[in-house]
Amino acid sequence: MKILVAVKQVPERDAQIHVAADGKWIDEDDLSYTINEPDAYALEEALQLKEKNGGEVVVVCAGPERVTSTLREALAKGADRAIHIEADDLGERDTLGVARMLAEAVKGESPDLILTGLQSDDLGLGQTGVVLAELLGIPHATIIMQVEKTDLGLRVKRELEDGWFQHVEMPFPALLTIQSGGNKLRYATLMGIKKAKTKETATFSASAAGAKAVSLEKVYLPEKQKRTEMLTGTPAEIAAKLVEKLKFDVRVL
Amino acid sequence: MSGVLVVLEQREGELNRMSLEAVAAGHLLAAKVGGECSAAMLSSGGGLKVGGVAKLYSVEHELLKDYTADGYCAVLEQLVKKLEPGYVLFPHTYQVRDFAPALATRFGQVLISDVVAMHDGDVGPVFVRQLLQGKLNADYRQTASGPCFVSVQAGSFRAEGEGSGAEAAVDVFVPELKPEQIRSKPGEPFRESAQTVDLSVAPVIVSVGRGIGEEGNIAMMQELADALGAELAASRPICDNGWLPMERQVGSSGQTVSPKLYLAVGISGAIQHLVGMKGSKAVIAINKDEHAPIFEVADFGVVGDLFEIVPELTKAVLAAKG
Amino acid sequence: MLDVSVVASAAMGMAARPGTLAVFTGLHLSGTLAEPAGFTGIEIGLLVACVLASGGLFFWRFAPILRNIFRSKKDNDFTLHPLGRRVWDFFWEVLCQAKVIRQRPLPGIAHAFVFWGFLAFALVSLNHFANGMRLGFLAPDGSVGRFYFGFAAVWALLVAVSIAGLFVRRFFVRPIWLGTKVSYESGFIAFLIFTLMVTYLAAFFVEDGGAAVKSLWWTHTLALLMFLPLIPHTKHLHLVLSPLTVFLKRDGFSKIPPLSGDEDFGLVAGKDITQLISLQAYSCVECGRCTEHCPASITGKVLNPKEIILGMRSYLNELGPASEVALLAEARPETTFGTTMSMEAAFECTTCGSCEYQCPVGIQHVPILVGLRRGATNTGAWEDTYGTKLFLALEKNGNALGLSSSERDKFVTKTGLPIFDGTQEYCLWLGCMGGYDPKGREIIADFARVMDYLGTTFGVLKKEKCTGDPARRLGNDLVFQTMAEFGLKALETAKVQKIVAICPHCVRTISNDWREYGIAPEIEHHSEFMARHKDRLPKQQSDESIVYHDPCYLGRYRDVYEEPREIVALAGTLVEAPRSREKSFCCGAGGGLAFLGEETGERVSHVRAAELAGTGAQVVGTACPFCNTMFRDALSEMETKPQLLDIAQLTARAITTVGSGAL
Repeated sequence: MKILVAVKQVPERDAQIHVAADGKWIDEDDLSYTINEPDAYALEEALQLKEKNGGEVVVVCAGPERVTSTLREALAKGADRAIHIEADDLGERDTLGVARMLAEAVKGESPDLILTGLQSDDLGLGQTGVVLAELLGIPHATIIMQVEKTDLGLRVKRELEDGWFQHVEMPFPALLTIQSGGNKLRYATLMGIKKAKTKETATFSASAAGAKAVSLEKVYLPEKQKRTEMLTGTPAEIAAKLVEKLKFDVRVL
Repeated sequence: MSGVLVVLEQREGELNRMSLEAVAAGHLLAAKVGGECSAAMLSSGGGLKVGGVAKLYSVEHELLKDYTADGYCAVLEQLVKKLEPGYVLFPHTYQVRDFAPALATRFGQVLISDVVAMHDGDVGPVFVRQLLQGKLNADYRQTASGPCFVSVQAGSFRAEGEGSGAEAAVDVFVPELKPEQIRSKPGEPFRESAQTVDLSVAPVIVSVGRGIGEEGNIAMMQELADALGAELAASRPICDNGWLPMERQVGSSGQTVSPKLYLAVGISGAIQHLVGMKGSKAVIAINKDEHAPIFEVADFGVVGDLFEIVPELTKAVLAAKG
Repeated sequence: MLDVSVVASAAMGMAARPGTLAVFTGLHLSGTLAEPAGFTGIEIGLLVACVLASGGLFFWRFAPILRNIFRSKKDNDFTLHPLGRRVWDFFWEVLCQAKVIRQRPLPGIAHAFVFWGFLAFALVSLNHFANGMRLGFLAPDGSVGRFYFGFAAVWALLVAVSIAGLFVRRFFVRPIWLGTKVSYESGFIAFLIFTLMVTYLAAFFVEDGGAAVKSLWWTHTLALLMFLPLIPHTKHLHLVLSPLTVFLKRDGFSKIPPLSGDEDFGLVAGKDITQLISLQAYSCVECGRCTEHCPASITGKVLNPKEIILGMRSYLNELGPASEVALLAEARPETTFGTTMSMEAAFECTTCGSCEYQCPVGIQHVPILVGLRRGATNTGAWEDTYGTKLFLALEKNGNALGLSSSERDKFVTKTGLPIFDGTQEYCLWLGCMGGYDPKGREIIADFARVMDYLGTTFGVLKKEKCTGDPARRLGNDLVFQTMAEFGLKALETAKVQKIVAICPHCVRTISNDWREYGIAPEIEHHSEFMARHKDRLPKQQSDESIVYHDPCYLGRYRDVYEEPREIVALAGTLVEAPRSREKSFCCGAGGGLAFLGEETGERVSHVRAAELAGTGAQVVGTACPFCNTMFRDALSEMETKPQLLDIAQLTARAITTVGSGAL
């Protein structure tokens, strides 16, 4: 089974965010980047499928030179090959543009299965995988917790809301977007890093960005920063205020 | 038609709350861009009603009995092509996340997903989304022509009063759909058997710490948890003392949880505990020590005697639930 | 006592007057050693044959061991430097038997007598064999001989008494540290030694040239020749190897050696065993001091450091030093030897270093245990939920607690800690505990007040990541390297000259472990800093009793014992715990264990906290935020508990009470 994992490199979760001077994106100068967390789970799922069923794991990432560090890390964790889609202009592409670029790069590989995280930690659109499947004309399923290879194709466990799940069966080739937490991630090892040095990273030049369907006009810090609201009063008053919060802010009542 | 089409989501004939919030957003958007706000609902047999919208398009086909991305995309593609709405709105549910991006792709569009607010821009409406786990807001705008697809985040628009009012006229739409178009086979939804407690999936957790004093007070906390439909959890000392089983321990040597609500009662918030619950969406803390570190991570805090507050809260919650 | 004085007087040369002694003993004590005369050619031939047989047998059994040691991998970091230290250790630990005696005074002194006795006997034995070949060079009635044989007789008596005592201890008292298995070989060897001494002493009581003296001579000879071939396959191999082991042990306490080359991931298989490890494994005397003081062993965990070393030895004996078979027992289920050298055991080590400190024959357990962990972690064989969580947290968040680094920024801002900008004297290193843990933050805030009070300028780094200590000790060289390189660069960029830290783990890792990747600025622990300024710190008018707990990484790892005590003494009355200073008992947090899951058996922290509270002191004084957090948890479950304060807090408290213009 040939599994292709599409990963994204995103700013580290706890990065201090500063809006760039043009107000269109954040200041990238001082940022450290890491693999998008759901993509890390997609990679883990791919590695586990390979360990169970054999095959090959190819990891693909689009972006500037810096994304090769994420590819190397994926190779260190056990991916067999990497494809770097060279693109310095991700910001100039909307979801459709990014998915088209991935589709171009992936077509020649004709994988049995494409895995990716269900959404990115930075933009959080949660669409690239689905759009890629649509462009490639293959079936997809999203928010997947478990993947099983069957005689006919795949049986996956999909997360629904409120603790509900559903199994979905589908044929190969297919695309799945993977939910975080379904597997336990492995840590990168020294041995993995050393082995990764001998693995191949192919580069792929993306074609120029086309017109966008939607555009990100500007970014800004939200007004309300998280802070603790202290509730005071008699016990009964506090209880009433809490219920109010439970209803309208937390929404669990 | 220009205007706004809201795609509703139903399960066994019942609309979910998020669909009504999407209707609320639909009204708001229709007011901005002009035109009517209609709704569409997909089902195998129709018979569904909703109020407060201009029209309800009941998309009916037996192959729509169970949700499939292929089925939904195919029929909505036909409906949108037929109606040509200016905007197609969805609640940002797990189901919508599964098919709406593909649907937009068929129109050469990009879904503006998970929208929390809308406002007027220079050229048409601007949709606000959150980036980087809410650390940043972003304004999005459609730049292509054709229908604009948008999904709205839960809780961003007030659903109170939506869906009621005069029942909308129902326009039945029977799409073309063949079984071979549907490539995946969905199974019945199920819940995980609740043999052992899995705090990591609990939506609401009431967690108790050393502040509850003695084992006898567990019962009072259990009552609050029951009232909220919550799982009872604890910090390490409680489990060490055997007042609650070890599997209910949250923290570095216990479980890591991320509920919608984490209600910490009598927990000071040692670092070993905090690392286990920092992923909670909302944290309410009740503690007698105003300097307790738990308040650093709490959204709402109460400084006071938990033995007075908890029974009152239990009462109030039960009353609120009716 | 009488006998001792008799022989002692013999040694003093009073034996020159035989009559006097006969009065005392009633025996025909001649005062000179009786020597058999007239060895026949047959006898000489027999003796030579016996010596050759014994020596041959010895080398036949010893050669494979030597081969294993020599064929083990070279220690790439080994240097004879510093020679002075090595000579001193040899003198102090081997010749003076200092460790042997200090750790277990009674059996220790008995052992020392046996050892010194053996040394004294070297000349005697040489002459003994020479005699048998008619080549004797030390005449018993010459003045030198008279003196020396008398001198040896004193030792013979001490050895005989000591070995009898040790025999009783091993076979009748049977301390559990010696293991549950009864070693008959040990018993037999003790018997041989006893025989050697008795036959020697008896020769003072028989007439020269008689049949009795000859049979004594032969008994003595045969005992000695039987003893020799028994050495290689028993713990008595330490007689041969341990002086060398002590002299050659890796420089630095619990020093983790750098990996060598692209194929080195730590101790994975036999091929990774280095010569020093081999030598140490074969030197183990099985005394069990390491296990006796091991916090894991004491609290009922699987880890038994002695058995790790013996496991290594059985592995070498069975498979040799070139084997590709995994070292850890879990990875070679088909084998039955060395089962004690398991992954489970290796990851129970708190790296407190007690074993290494105790070991009288120079075995360095911690590098071996960490080496085994490296082998498991660097190859991904160690799969532990908490360990993985920790490594991912370090990779992603740069701190061991897995919190967002902005939490540190918030704390720095809120507390008003200045950012280091090159103008201040010190860089105050926060560490994970100081930057993220509520109690650790209190310690930092209090220490900052102490520095302010002293008028010392300081600043904290804008961005700081974990030193990599837990990754280092858990064998993750990849994460450790990332952390070390980040830290070195951050300090260099900020142009830091001097660092002070509240955490002994940070101090150790920065000053010592980082050296693999670069030289960090000079760093000291806050106890050292405060002690240097103790004359300017306020003395509190308090008779509060404070029991000080020596953190492993400050005491055994850094040899800092006095400084924190000086600070404690300013704040109240210092109380010593039953186990203190070099013998201090771990809090259970070291070696990355603070971040792993629940321990099996008793909690180390609870055992130590109970010991500290048991002193009746009003305050437990700590000097490490990890110890502090472990005790906070353990003490909270006690009915009446002492207050728990870091030495910085003890001092800052005084600043508040005494009052000062500095703040």
